[in-house]
Amino acid sequence: MTDATLAVQGLTHDFGQRRALDDVSFEVRPGRLTGFVGANGAGKTTTMRAIVGVLRPDAGTVTFGGASMTLEVRRRIGYMPEERGLYPKMKVAEQLVYLARVLGVTKDDAQARAASLLEGLDLAERRDDLLHTLSLGNQQRVQVAAALIHEPDLLILDEPFSGLDPIAMDAMAERLRDRAAAGVPVLFSSHQLDLVERLCDDLVVIHHGRVVAAGDARALREQRAGRRYRVDVGGTDAWMPALAGMTVVGSGPEGTLVDLDESADPQALLAAAQAAGPVEHFARTVPSLAELFAEVVR
Amino acid sequence: MSTPRTALVRLVAGREISVKLRDKGFLASTAVFIAIIVLAVVVPVMLEGDTPEYTVAATGHAGAVAEVAVELGGAEVPGLPAADITVIGLEDPTAGAGGDPVDEAFLRGADAVLSSDPDGTVVITAQENVPGDLEELIAAASSAVTAQDVAVEAGLSADQLAALTSPPQPRIDLLDPKPSLPVPPELVIVIFGFLFYFTVLTFGASIAQSVVEEKTSRVVEILVAAVPVRWLLAGKVLGNAAMALGQVVLIVGAGLVGAQAIGEGDIVAQVLGVSGWFLAFFVLGFLMLACLWAVAGSLASRIEELQSTTLYMQLAVMTPFFSAILIRDEGPARVALSYFPLTAPLMMPARVATGDAAAWEPWVAMVIVSATAVLLIGVGARLYSGSVLNTSTRTRLGGAWAAGGRA
Repeated sequence: MTDATLAVQGLTHDFGQRRALDDVSFEVRPGRLTGFVGANGAGKTTTMRAIVGVLRPDAGTVTFGGASMTLEVRRRIGYMPEERGLYPKMKVAEQLVYLARVLGVTKDDAQARAASLLEGLDLAERRDDLLHTLSLGNQQRVQVAAALIHEPDLLILDEPFSGLDPIAMDAMAERLRDRAAAGVPVLFSSHQLDLVERLCDDLVVIHHGRVVAAGDARALREQRAGRRYRVDVGGTDAWMPALAGMTVVGSGPEGTLVDLDESADPQALLAAAQAAGPVEHFARTVPSLAELFAEVVR
Repeated sequence: MSTPRTALVRLVAGREISVKLRDKGFLASTAVFIAIIVLAVVVPVMLEGDTPEYTVAATGHAGAVAEVAVELGGAEVPGLPAADITVIGLEDPTAGAGGDPVDEAFLRGADAVLSSDPDGTVVITAQENVPGDLEELIAAASSAVTAQDVAVEAGLSADQLAALTSPPQPRIDLLDPKPSLPVPPELVIVIFGFLFYFTVLTFGASIAQSVVEEKTSRVVEILVAAVPVRWLLAGKVLGNAAMALGQVVLIVGAGLVGAQAIGEGDIVAQVLGVSGWFLAFFVLGFLMLACLWAVAGSLASRIEELQSTTLYMQLAVMTPFFSAILIRDEGPARVALSYFPLTAPLMMPARVATGDAAAWEPWVAMVIVSATAVLLIGVGARLYSGSVLNTSTRTRLGGAWAAGGRA
């Protein structure tokens, strides 16, 4: 496959009178982690279900590497549904082997992969326990293993981090990075914006069924950054520059925030700051993902 | 890569089977069933099986009666019980160690002591009671001996005597004879009817439960993303059908082996003769109903809702069972029910078992049931795809039908 990009094009879906998805379009590029953020009920899960073919949207198309999502293509997706789903009364390893075989993996391969995944997730000694005897966190790890068991070409993970402790979260992030590095497009939704910010290469923000921002995460934030600078002059708590085209929007122990209009030169601000004392910090501020999110969904 | 459809269906069916095989309730009920069937076949034969043995001491004229009783007991005369009677002599009181010869006889194991009154009446002396079989035989022997004595006195010839003591039995001429069967066909029908009823009910419920379990645990979402819903349904139904048929064959087989072991080969022959039709209709009837049980399961979103969504299915299983048991007399109702798809799986083989159906009739019913099964499997698959992903609320039939059309 030369271009393993997942393309979502114009997805629209109604639940009765309510429009759940409204012309949703975005791409998930190979080798990149794409974070999918939005408030509860914004349409994340519906979009993911439409991608994996569990839900048939009223309109719109999904393609993977240019091909439509036939059964053969869908069987190459690693999917983790929002509400976790495994057989509670089946043994952990047996369950993984069964799912792998349903997805077309041979019995020997399935057993080998189940063993190595469980090993990697620190669950090797629980392999013959019934799933429902495991703690929720451990069940969650088995769910991760279930999504990875057939070495999928595409990962669609709905809230993969919810319910994980910080250590498991790091392990999970590591795993997703691995898969992305292997060239697999990874789409995952999360409410934990700091985590998404730290992890993601690309971002899709959805609000009330519409995509309000999509693309390279860094670029999106830069775009919204504007011309706000933070200046921290050592020794002064409240340095208040009075320069043409500049407005002080706040000051505090972290320094002074200054908005520059189109004509103002940031270098003039720096020069003024240096004249006032030793400059400890001078930079354009980029909004955090939380700020960006708050802004785009407003 | 092409999707190996049969392999997938087999995998899904295999999981159903392995789950069942590990279900202790299922294993226990099968074992109990087999035990019941074997006991039902073996115990009555064991109870009636052995010819009772009696020891009789006789003296004087009663000795002749005792000899005739021995003959009658061993001859399997119609109307008389069979018994193995041993006659011992009643010892002369002077020859023994003294004491009462009657007591002596009882000490030697006699069940009864026969003697005769001066007027010729036979007296049976026993300790607590006289076994019924023995009493009957001695009574018959006594009248035979008396009749013979009287005949000899009257100077009757041997032929005349024979005509008197064993008069010719009427000959029976049947215009439309039914085959004489070692087991009443009604019993066979009840047994197969109950097996069908029990099996469809338990396996139907287990299919429905397995569907709901996949819905509540949301596994179905992963599966549906990768496997067409119809294949899932097919795997579930086939896995359970294989187990159901296996269980029935095991139970019937255990009964037959039991019957063969105790030497009731004619029972085996009779049941094998009709079980072919019962089993053939069983498979079709099961497949026909199993899909609907899966639909009933998929309409529920939680185990608690199964009770209400499977209600009609329980009726659909109970109706044929009770009609097969209650409507025994051949007539228009029975004939009609033996062609009606829901009741045919029991009624038609029942009519075959009682010898009321012509040779072509089960074939026609089979075609009708097959056609209905194909239709219902299609309907069931559509309803199943339309409802299996709705995990939040109970699905209405109409909604499932519409959604299934889109899927």
